Amino acid sequence: MSTVTSVRSSLAEFDERRLLLLATFLPLAAFFTLVWAIPIAYALGMSLFENPTRAASFAGLSNYVEILTAEQFPLFLWNSVLYAVSTTVFSLLLGLGLALVVNQQIRGGSVLRTMMIFPYLLPTLVVIFIWQFLFDPNIGVVNQWLVDFGVVADPIAFFSTIEWAMAAVAVTSVWKFGSFAFFILLARLQAIDPNLYERARVEGASTWQAFRDITVPHLRGAILIILLVRGIWMFNKFDIIYLSTRGGPLNATTTLPIRVYELAFNEVNFGAATALAGIMFFLLAGVAVVYFRVFEPEKEVTH
Amino acid sequence: MALGEGAAGSVVPQRLQTRIKRIALVLVAALVAVFVTVPVYVMVAVAVQSPAAVFRGGDVNLLIDSLTLRNFRVLIEDTNTIQYFANSLIVTASSTVLSTALAVAAGYGLTRFEFTGKTVAARAVLFAYMFSPIVLAIPLYVIFFSLGLLNSYFALTMALTAISAPFTIWLMWQYFQTVPISLEESAWVRGASRTRTLWDVVLPVARPGYISAAIFSFAVAWNDFTMSRVVMSNDEMYTITVGASLFLDRVTIGWGETMAVSLLICIPPFLIAVFLQNYLLQGFNVGGLE
Amino acid sequence: MARPIHLDSVRKEYRSAGSVHVAVDDLTLSIPEGSFTTLVGPSGCGKTTTLRMIAGLETPTEGRLSFGDEDVTGQSPQDRNCAMVFQSIALYPHMTVRRNIGYGLKVQGVPKDERDRRIDEAAETLQITEQLEKMPAELSGGQQQRVALGSAFVQDPDVLLLDEPMSDLDAKLKAELRVEVQRLHQELDATVVYVTHDQTEAMTMSDQVILLNQGRLEQFAPPGELFDAPVSEYVARFIGTPSTNLLPATVAETDDGYALAGDGFGVLAPADRFADRVGDSITVGIRPQYLSADGGDYELTVIAGVVEQLGTEFVVHGHTPDGTDVDAVSTAFGAVEHGDELVVGFDPGDLFVFDADGRTICHGDALAGETPRQSP
Repeated sequence: MSTVTSVRSSLAEFDERRLLLLATFLPLAAFFTLVWAIPIAYALGMSLFENPTRAASFAGLSNYVEILTAEQFPLFLWNSVLYAVSTTVFSLLLGLGLALVVNQQIRGGSVLRTMMIFPYLLPTLVVIFIWQFLFDPNIGVVNQWLVDFGVVADPIAFFSTIEWAMAAVAVTSVWKFGSFAFFILLARLQAIDPNLYERARVEGASTWQAFRDITVPHLRGAILIILLVRGIWMFNKFDIIYLSTRGGPLNATTTLPIRVYELAFNEVNFGAATALAGIMFFLLAGVAVVYFRVFEPEKEVTH
Repeated sequence: MALGEGAAGSVVPQRLQTRIKRIALVLVAALVAVFVTVPVYVMVAVAVQSPAAVFRGGDVNLLIDSLTLRNFRVLIEDTNTIQYFANSLIVTASSTVLSTALAVAAGYGLTRFEFTGKTVAARAVLFAYMFSPIVLAIPLYVIFFSLGLLNSYFALTMALTAISAPFTIWLMWQYFQTVPISLEESAWVRGASRTRTLWDVVLPVARPGYISAAIFSFAVAWNDFTMSRVVMSNDEMYTITVGASLFLDRVTIGWGETMAVSLLICIPPFLIAVFLQNYLLQGFNVGGLE
Repeated sequence: MARPIHLDSVRKEYRSAGSVHVAVDDLTLSIPEGSFTTLVGPSGCGKTTTLRMIAGLETPTEGRLSFGDEDVTGQSPQDRNCAMVFQSIALYPHMTVRRNIGYGLKVQGVPKDERDRRIDEAAETLQITEQLEKMPAELSGGQQQRVALGSAFVQDPDVLLLDEPMSDLDAKLKAELRVEVQRLHQELDATVVYVTHDQTEAMTMSDQVILLNQGRLEQFAPPGELFDAPVSEYVARFIGTPSTNLLPATVAETDDGYALAGDGFGVLAPADRFADRVGDSITVGIRPQYLSADGGDYELTVIAGVVEQLGTEFVVHGHTPDGTDVDAVSTAFGAVEHGDELVVGFDPGDLFVFDADGRTICHGDALAGETPRQSP
């Protein structure tokens, strides 16, 4: 009799365990398959066809060839890299500088910290509206100040002149994303054991030496990760550029994501759009391999 | 001798040096505060005053000396703003619930069951996290199109969850690792079934984690432009970001109304920043969000 | 109702990435009902795994586990009527102390009045009545531990399992809780199994001690027997502080019979145990407490290193002229200084003799009969 109970109860336990396993993994697997695996495979498939959405005909790699040999492709790639690198580096510098300042426990530091959340939480669209307003040639505050102080003679239409458009988009992006680096670096700074600084002082290190030998090594990993991950995100950024310039003027701010959108929805050339998306996919995969090799981020959850 | 190195090398006395340093710090902080707050202030100033007051005399007048709801009234009377907001709320709420629920289930399963391929799973999640929304949006558009799902709340909910879930899953995966399994074991030993333990112990303890996850999926969905631009093409189905993005193209809408709608869009994120700041910062510490 | 616990050839392996780790190997033992039994051993010896198998949190890879006549090998932890106190204490951070203690009763469907009565009673016993409405985070480490004990107590378990419950507490609290745990054992009708890496705890609290070595049973005996009659060098080294001194020696045949010949001593040994071991390398073990400043049938020269004072006693950490480490404990070593050469005496009755594999050949009682030969 007792054996029967134990067999039954162990079966019940097994069933409950299996049920839970299903309940946790099934949605995860289904979700990833439905919204990630299938679309990506579908896109890669489409990229091999001419006119994939209408009269599809197999085209091999010709879409890729067409994209890569397009006259303007180097410009789009250059724009992407320029935008990604400049916004990442500047938001890192801004975030780092401010994190170091707030970490000094100045008065109002916590207020400043709360304030830094706003740019991050403001929807991209709102950020664009605000900066378009500030940079407006007729009513923009920035132009008014520049003219009043005699820096420029005539107002500049920052978002719609070839020389300034990229810079204007970059400033807007840094304003929005600088807080990302700030919060991560501030958390790292606050996690440094204060005893390390006390020990350095006892051992005779100057403020600069303590910064170089304690602070910098503690931040190095975070800085590299910010450069890499933020860099990838900025490279992939679509909305902020699209909303501020639509990629113009004269393609001055057309990056690869903007080009993907144009190909798909303006030129309705899904073959070429998915081919370019495919190229971006492989670029990202390449960077991801480096990221996984160097940082082993999965260790955070597998150990 | 080594002890005095820092001070001995400089001509400026120690105390003055400290003073200068403090002043410099405060200056930097003030400058950044201005850089961060002025744009937000400008938005508010333009939104709550009538265009006549803001633009009187040819210059932009940013001191708030009159208050009016005119801009908001124009929005409500002349545009579909209310409908856009309703759409945004619907898809944001459903995507937040879906993304959070998925993350809680996945995080629990991934930490509580042993299986091979954890590394692969972790990398897949991170890879998806770094993915470009527009690259995903193209095939999703084609798929939704062929299924006749464009312009549906369902399609947008799925698309938004697709871009928020990788991070919320990652966050919950990390969070559940900090929840000691002995809490559950202690409940099992006392006779509670696994399912009951989930309700009585696991979910209450994981609360801070899933609140963070919910905030982040909310922020992604509420701020999203890319996915709704691609999935929604009917004016009645626009979310507020897509709807409002087209305002400036209209003759009847000026900066006053634009800033007014911006202000409205900012209310939910603002409430989060004020009331749920700590949960938000917790998310940042796990790796932030795009 | 207390139940005896039987383990029959229990083995537990963990497989990961192609390698197999054996945590517990071929463990057979019977823990008497109502006893206080301690599982002791260094970290990684399999003691916690054994405890978790008894609780049902791990399933044995092989072998059989039963409570009395009932086979519980495959039974889930929910059905075993065990209570367990975890090393991490494992209090639910979102429940008050009262709800924490009463959670098990609630799960079992005990009505609220009855539940509250039992919680109050447990709280009374453990002196945490004042804390009942607080949250765990508001309690001190010792109070949290009392709550964990209280949760186990109200369950009225057949088997009470404690997994290193005091490892994070300071010495004073440990001493207090040790008494508390023993009181619980007296009040509960339960078989108590207690895991610790601290041999002092094991020796002072328990009726029976199970000493594990790399997943295998080394010795299962009452504390006194473990101290006086270790079955191996490992047991002799693990139990008692400072550790048993181990002096290398050889079995020699002399005019008077057989002797264990080491650096500066030659202990007479009985023929029945050593006649066939002539020439073998053996190890002679002697506890530091049995090396005395005066007297003893045999003598040993020790060159003193560090001398520590422990209350009224002094511990000399030294070595023999040939370099073997030797510790000696006595109240008489107060004047010893670093570098001093001492002559300490010992009696054959206090020795342990181990073979080259570390198994015990005989204890002192077998040597005590031989007449000591005067040193030349």
